[in-house]
Amino acid sequence: MQRQRNGLQKLAGLLEIPQDIVMDLPRITMLGNKQLLVENHKGIIEYTPSLVRIKLSQGELIVKGSGLTLGNFQAEQILIEGTVREIQYDT
Amino acid sequence: MILNLTNYMSGTVRVCVRGAMPEKFINLCIAQHIFLWGITKIDDDFYVSMRLTDFFRIRPIARISRVQIHAISHKGLPFLLKKVKRRKMLLLGAIMCFLMLNVMASYVWFVDVIGLKTLPSSRVKEIAYENGLRPGISKDSIMAKQIEKEILVSMPEVAWVGVTLSGTRAVIEVVEKTMPKQEDKAPANIVALKDGVITEYIVLAGQGTVKKGDTVKKGDILVKGIVPEQVMTNELGQPIINNNVPQVIKANGIIKARIWYEGYGEAELSTPVHQRTGKREMAVLVDIGSNQLSLKRAYLDPNASFEHEVVYKKLPFWRNSGITVESTINIYHEVNTLWVEKTLEEARDEARSKALASVQSIIPETAHVISRNSEVLQTSETNLVRVKVSIETIEEIGQSVIISNQ
Repeated sequence: MQRQRNGLQKLAGLLEIPQDIVMDLPRITMLGNKQLLVENHKGIIEYTPSLVRIKLSQGELIVKGSGLTLGNFQAEQILIEGTVREIQYDT
Repeated sequence: MILNLTNYMSGTVRVCVRGAMPEKFINLCIAQHIFLWGITKIDDDFYVSMRLTDFFRIRPIARISRVQIHAISHKGLPFLLKKVKRRKMLLLGAIMCFLMLNVMASYVWFVDVIGLKTLPSSRVKEIAYENGLRPGISKDSIMAKQIEKEILVSMPEVAWVGVTLSGTRAVIEVVEKTMPKQEDKAPANIVALKDGVITEYIVLAGQGTVKKGDTVKKGDILVKGIVPEQVMTNELGQPIINNNVPQVIKANGIIKARIWYEGYGEAELSTPVHQRTGKREMAVLVDIGSNQLSLKRAYLDPNASFEHEVVYKKLPFWRNSGITVESTINIYHEVNTLWVEKTLEEARDEARSKALASVQSIIPETAHVISRNSEVLQTSETNLVRVKVSIETIEEIGQSVIISNQ
């Protein structure tokens, strides 16, 4: 499994294909500490105004902050608005 | 922007999600392509916004995730339409307002005539009225070309006319012809306009009565408006006395004369100048009907001197038809009086320019000025400088005066 993944990564690098498509990785876009857009996620695990846990293909993404609100204007996207203080990967 | 617009068109609902697994509800919604936004959590309750069409699809999802859904608020076009459906007269009123505006704007309400100099506008308006251009007529029925033609035909003094519509106002623009001056052919004498000594004397028509170098007074006849008599002599050399009444004609000629003008001016060596100190007092009076009401009184220092200014305010008459409401504002500017001293030369120049100005106004523009003299008059007053100016000109003094039939 791990070897297959490494091979895919090499192939993607060779063909210059964006790796997030090949490897099913999340694409995270941040706008200062105001907005956080997560694409290619697998759902929400937990949500409170100070903590958001998002399930990824491997592990989860933990966003800490204050006054966080969620929204999605397109499928497979999550937009977190509020004041983001901390982002953490948990595998 | 477009997203907001589509949201508005389809209508949005904000719901309260309460139950065991609200996160699961959100995940399922995302999986079903139900767009959610503004998700917040207040005391274990989730508040979510969604579209109205999606609101009817979440029932199975709510059942699976075991949550209860309560709609809290809603906005958007579908809800507005529902409200309007209940208040049909409101919509009717809006439509009526729009229609009225449209209908009223398709009529002419004012007719204006511009560009007239000597002709009365009432005549132009009358012709326009007869040809259908009158207040209260539909714009479509106005035949501008025909009205223009009609005005041109019935008013020969008009060179060009244009009828244009701007909004509810019809403007008739008129350009008048400049007619050549009609020369008066009535028999006339040439009479002196001013006192003077004649320097040039050319008679073109009529009988001369004076000669070059003569001094004439104002009102003297210079050229008589009659056909000059030929003195006939018989064979003995005696003049034949002609008893015929001489034929009267319009006299014509070029008569120039030397004319003297005198002007006088004076200037003070020290003059008072009033300067505003910036301090001012205001008194406000309001007239309502026949009653006068003092809103503010002015408290003036009895020792100071003031400049008085009156501002008079009145509402336009159409807002003031019932009881007249007018206000009078008296403004008192406090002034300081300063004495400005002038040198003798300055005062003399000022007096001279005053004197010249007083003369200049009576000298015609065509006059040819020969000499200009000024002299300072000796006076007993020490504060005054008096200057006399004399100007000598040569100018046309003939004036046609119609011979009255007696």
